[in-house]
Amino acid sequence: MSWMHRHLLDVDALSRPEMELLLDQAVHMEDLLDRPIKKVPALRGKLVVNLFFEPSTRTRVSFELAEKFLGADVVNWAASGSSTSKGETLRDTAWTLEAMGADAVVVRHGMPGVPWYLREKLRKASVFNAGDGAHAHPTQALLDVYTVWKHCNRSLDGLRVAIVGDVLHSRVVRSDVQAFRLLGAEVVLAGPRTLMPLETDALGAVYEPDPVKAVEGADAVYLLRIQKERALEGLYPTDDEYHRRWGADEELMARAKKGAFVMHPGPINRGVEIASAVADGPNSLILDQVRSGVAVRMALLYLCMGGMEA
Amino acid sequence: MSTERMERCCGGEVPLLLKGGRIFDGERFLDGVTDVLLEDGRVRALGKDLPSPEGAKELQLAGLLVCPGFIDLHGHFRDPGQTWCEDLVSGSLAAAAGGYAVAVAMPNTLPPLDNDALVRDVIERGRRAGGARILPAGCVSKERKGEEMAELAAMADAGAVFFTDDGAPVLRARLLRNALLYTKDLGVRVLEHPEEKDLTKSAQVTEGRCSALSGMRGFPISAEVLGVLRALVLARETNCAVHLTHVSTAAALEAIRAAKADGVEVTCDVTPHHLVLSEEDVLRSNLHAAFKVNPPLRSTADRDALWRGIADGTVDAIATDHAPWHEDEKDLPFQEANFGIASYECAVGAVLDYRRNAEPEVPLERLLALWTSRPGALLPQSAAFPGRLAEGLPAHVTVVDPESAFRVDPALWRSKARITPYKGRHFTGRPVLTVVAGKIVFSALEGGAVRV
Repeated sequence: MSWMHRHLLDVDALSRPEMELLLDQAVHMEDLLDRPIKKVPALRGKLVVNLFFEPSTRTRVSFELAEKFLGADVVNWAASGSSTSKGETLRDTAWTLEAMGADAVVVRHGMPGVPWYLREKLRKASVFNAGDGAHAHPTQALLDVYTVWKHCNRSLDGLRVAIVGDVLHSRVVRSDVQAFRLLGAEVVLAGPRTLMPLETDALGAVYEPDPVKAVEGADAVYLLRIQKERALEGLYPTDDEYHRRWGADEELMARAKKGAFVMHPGPINRGVEIASAVADGPNSLILDQVRSGVAVRMALLYLCMGGMEA
Repeated sequence: MSTERMERCCGGEVPLLLKGGRIFDGERFLDGVTDVLLEDGRVRALGKDLPSPEGAKELQLAGLLVCPGFIDLHGHFRDPGQTWCEDLVSGSLAAAAGGYAVAVAMPNTLPPLDNDALVRDVIERGRRAGGARILPAGCVSKERKGEEMAELAAMADAGAVFFTDDGAPVLRARLLRNALLYTKDLGVRVLEHPEEKDLTKSAQVTEGRCSALSGMRGFPISAEVLGVLRALVLARETNCAVHLTHVSTAAALEAIRAAKADGVEVTCDVTPHHLVLSEEDVLRSNLHAAFKVNPPLRSTADRDALWRGIADGTVDAIATDHAPWHEDEKDLPFQEANFGIASYECAVGAVLDYRRNAEPEVPLERLLALWTSRPGALLPQSAAFPGRLAEGLPAHVTVVDPESAFRVDPALWRSKARITPYKGRHFTGRPVLTVVAGKIVFSALEGGAVRV
């Protein structure tokens, strides 16, 4: 089994053996995080540009740590406040980065398809999708499956995962459904119909309108972030009503399998999609997800950027 | 130059004898007729083994389809105002190369075509452009703002062939209703872009699989259906005609089918891209902006329903909605790019090729009528593009080679557009000769054979 990818734009590019190779690699990387000196020289001399057109703290910092632990030179190109706000096109930004010698570009953008657009324009740099619009967020999906996988004896076969929340506006859910299914898990979606695409089937998951039924027997319950402005758009009435019906509290979690994992991509809204008792409870993997994120991104960068031949 | 001399040098030319083709008169293929003689801008004779008059140019067209000049009811020339994207000359030559003898120009220019002076300007410059004849539509509303009625009668007198606020529906239902009534006796139809805007705010792709998988806002089917229903209800109540353009969904077409059966004087067109492409192409392209268009590319079920609408006669025309943009407006991430697909120079080929390969049950005559007699019946008579071939009618001819294969290469286009979803596609079947008023405005024939 060898790794054939230079880029990662979405999970659907990966086969199951490739995904498993990456997860195995992430285990080694996570071991590194426990060492007193966390740095290895795998990407020494490589230039990685973090090109973030949207504010994102966790994903950017997670990538930046992964890049630094692998010894890469890192540039954070905050697109607001640089040439893009002066009206430079994305095409010109791409060519500029390449002229500066970027070996990889990690891109976060509010518009779907931007990572694919960059891959088309860049001749030699690797492109990593750090989230495009409400379309895809493949590294989040990889870290999510990795977190569950390592807690379940490295197998997700036959697991039931309930994803609850704002599916319509979520970049996480589209990639997560693909990733969980690729490894043999079943995914149920729940949330108000106004926060669902009309055709949920297209995502490859079943929609269950009743949140209690959705989490019934689930091995993991994954809460999506509710952005408070959605209430103002009239998609649901109030945060309070949302919390009472869809929020993960101890009562709802009692319907899931005993010891079911609680997950969230962060940042969490306590008292909206998740109650503090659940977020901080013994089955919460939320902080483990954060740590896994660094390891998984290290594994990905290492595999895609020629680490195998080093 | 006197008007008379101008007519002679631009219209008359030498007589043209088209020999040995299959003659399609706008409705059917004619038995026992192989030749068409064009002289002084008119069809002089149809027959078999017609003698060649003195000085006539003779073209051997064995195996080719000789049709009335193709009519396109819907195109954007970006002139005046955005001539880096297209202008009347590039658009006219592109349309001619696509087999169109006449192209209707939408009035959403800068400034919008909302008065008779601008209508005359487009007609005059279009006549000199040298390719397809350009006939403008005028705006329904002043400045295309959807509020007050533009000078519709003055524009009709100046030669406007439709009234529309295309690019958008007529904003106010009251204005649409009044426009239908006001134009009823002018002989010029209202052409409506059916869309309920309240449902399509920041929409990018069709609602359904494409919006679900891309995470972009969807154009709901209901937005088009509501636009169609509004027009149908108003046309029925006022007993006026209305034309619905670029209908893209099975549900909207069904509403039109029912209204037609009920006697409402409604007509509609569909675009080549909605007949040939679908949301699956948007997804397969990884959200490439070349596939961004309004109305959006729909489901494969909608696409198939449009073909059934052609088969049962519900559809009255195939119109390109040729919408050229410069790379600066189109070589962008999907959401940032403008809506619109440029297609004059490959649209007919795309449709013919789809019919050939996907085998919808549509006879060739029925399809050809949608580029000729059916849209011809929707233009004012004074436009003199009846979409028919008969003795004494104007000499507009399009010759189609059903076997000619080509690859779409926008780098070679006469249009200024370089981005199209058809780029690199191979199609079989295309127009090879376009004649307007007896004059050849496009030819891919060489010594009687098709030039590759």
